[in-house]
Amino acid sequence: MRFLVCLKQVPDSTVKVKVGAGGKAVATEGITWSMSPYDEYAVELALERKDADPTTVVSVVTVGSARGRDALRQALAMGCDDATLVNAPEDLPALDVAKALAAVAKEMKPDIVLCGKQASDDDQGLVGPAVAEFLGWPHVGMLTKAVSSGDAWELWREVEGGHEVWKAKPPVVGLVHKSDKEPRYPSLPGIMKAKKKEIPEKDLASLGVTASSPKIEVAAMDLPPQRGGGKIFKLDGDAKAVAEQVANLLHTESKVL
Amino acid sequence: MKTVVVAERTRGALRRVSLEIAAKASSFGDTEVIAVKGDRYSPMAWSSAVAEKAKDADLILVGATPSGRDLGARVAAKLGRAYAADCTDLAAKDGALEAKRPMYAGKIRATVKLPSPAVISIRPGAWTLPAGTAAPQVIEIDPAADDPRITFDRFEATASGGKRVSLAEARAIVSGGRGLKGPENWKIVEELADALGAAIGASRAVTDAGWRPNEEQVGQTGKTVTPDLYVALGISGAIQHLAGMTSSKVIVAVNKDPDADIFKIADYGVVGDLFEFVPAFTEAVKKVKGTN
Repeated sequence: MRFLVCLKQVPDSTVKVKVGAGGKAVATEGITWSMSPYDEYAVELALERKDADPTTVVSVVTVGSARGRDALRQALAMGCDDATLVNAPEDLPALDVAKALAAVAKEMKPDIVLCGKQASDDDQGLVGPAVAEFLGWPHVGMLTKAVSSGDAWELWREVEGGHEVWKAKPPVVGLVHKSDKEPRYPSLPGIMKAKKKEIPEKDLASLGVTASSPKIEVAAMDLPPQRGGGKIFKLDGDAKAVAEQVANLLHTESKVL
Repeated sequence: MKTVVVAERTRGALRRVSLEIAAKASSFGDTEVIAVKGDRYSPMAWSSAVAEKAKDADLILVGATPSGRDLGARVAAKLGRAYAADCTDLAAKDGALEAKRPMYAGKIRATVKLPSPAVISIRPGAWTLPAGTAAPQVIEIDPAADDPRITFDRFEATASGGKRVSLAEARAIVSGGRGLKGPENWKIVEELADALGAAIGASRAVTDAGWRPNEEQVGQTGKTVTPDLYVALGISGAIQHLAGMTSSKVIVAVNKDPDADIFKIADYGVVGDLFEFVPAFTEAVKKVKGTN
């Protein structure tokens, strides 16, 4: 069984995001970068299968600048087997990123391709379904669990009120929303081993991909309006009075009740 | 601009977000509202059918629900279209499109430009539905043949069972955090939610601990929500949680810790014991609603 997990390196989710000087991108000086959280869940989900069956191979790939190597190393340190970097400009249109990932998948022939359901920077969620489309494979979104059953896989898709369980014969693409367990931390031996691993590079031309898809361009960025200056009440044995005051304010002042 | 709205149904009825989009879409030009027959979304069968029907459209609009976003992305890939997800507004300018959308889990608001033809998903509640809007004429299309490699097997319901309004479309949400002290104490959250007609949310700490199902998680790696009223009970306000709910119209926070970050964004903050306050607040809400 072979998994290919597609990763993206993004500003860490604890970063207080600020708009950069040009007003069209976030400021990146001095920030911490990490694997996008949904991709981390995807890695964890694949590694849990490897825990259950050690013959499972988990490969990871990213498309972008050399900075993405850190995310690949993180995945290797968590226990993935091999990593590939596809060199590409950071502003490569998402559909071309998906074409490059699909081309890598065609070479590696994994049984299951996993992507995070969206990257936590642009929050588009386009690449995963597009990889499936370019491969001509079925996909399951909002994936929270993958269980092998005979020659098929049970893929759990979170929906309102529960899960749809889909049965799929590989190859298939899964767009991961969550893993059963929290993503594991890299172990020290894992980190040492990951440091020694070579990360082969590919370029777009060798994958037969040119930047040709329509592009979405950020024209302006700003922060959501600052909130604050709210009314604060301290409870002091007068819960009923405060509760009535807040309920009345919701009715008369903010008119949401 | 020739526009196709792909409507979505839930339990047989058109979703509110589909009505919102259909009501607004005619301002972009000739509009057709289509819906795929059947009530179980299947990516390959539905995206093929929609792409075939809408291949000449300049603009394809879907609701930014989990299924709508999934469908929209695959249709965009199939047709090689520009795509923008979860938009809060959209305008057509000189044959191109300008959309507003959150990025970085809501920490950033962006204005993006994209060429037409395009596929756009619109966030529920972004376009208000004018009162008295007539239901749109819907053209039913058949899904394409399903891929034999994948079949729906069964539905596994979570304990809470989807009896309430969905988080994404709820106009009011009551969320609980660690301050509730344990899953056995959710009754007061439910009672307040019932009084408000609200959906129930949770902080990540609470879903990670298994107190509540994952689907209730609000924030980064959970759901981004924009209700009219968000009530945070016993939630301290980690940056990832705040990102997911800071665009709510009105925020009420109840927490023991006066320095909790949630108070920095709350319109009404109550510092104190939530077990004292919430039952009293539920009664007060019922009273106000009763006299409306």
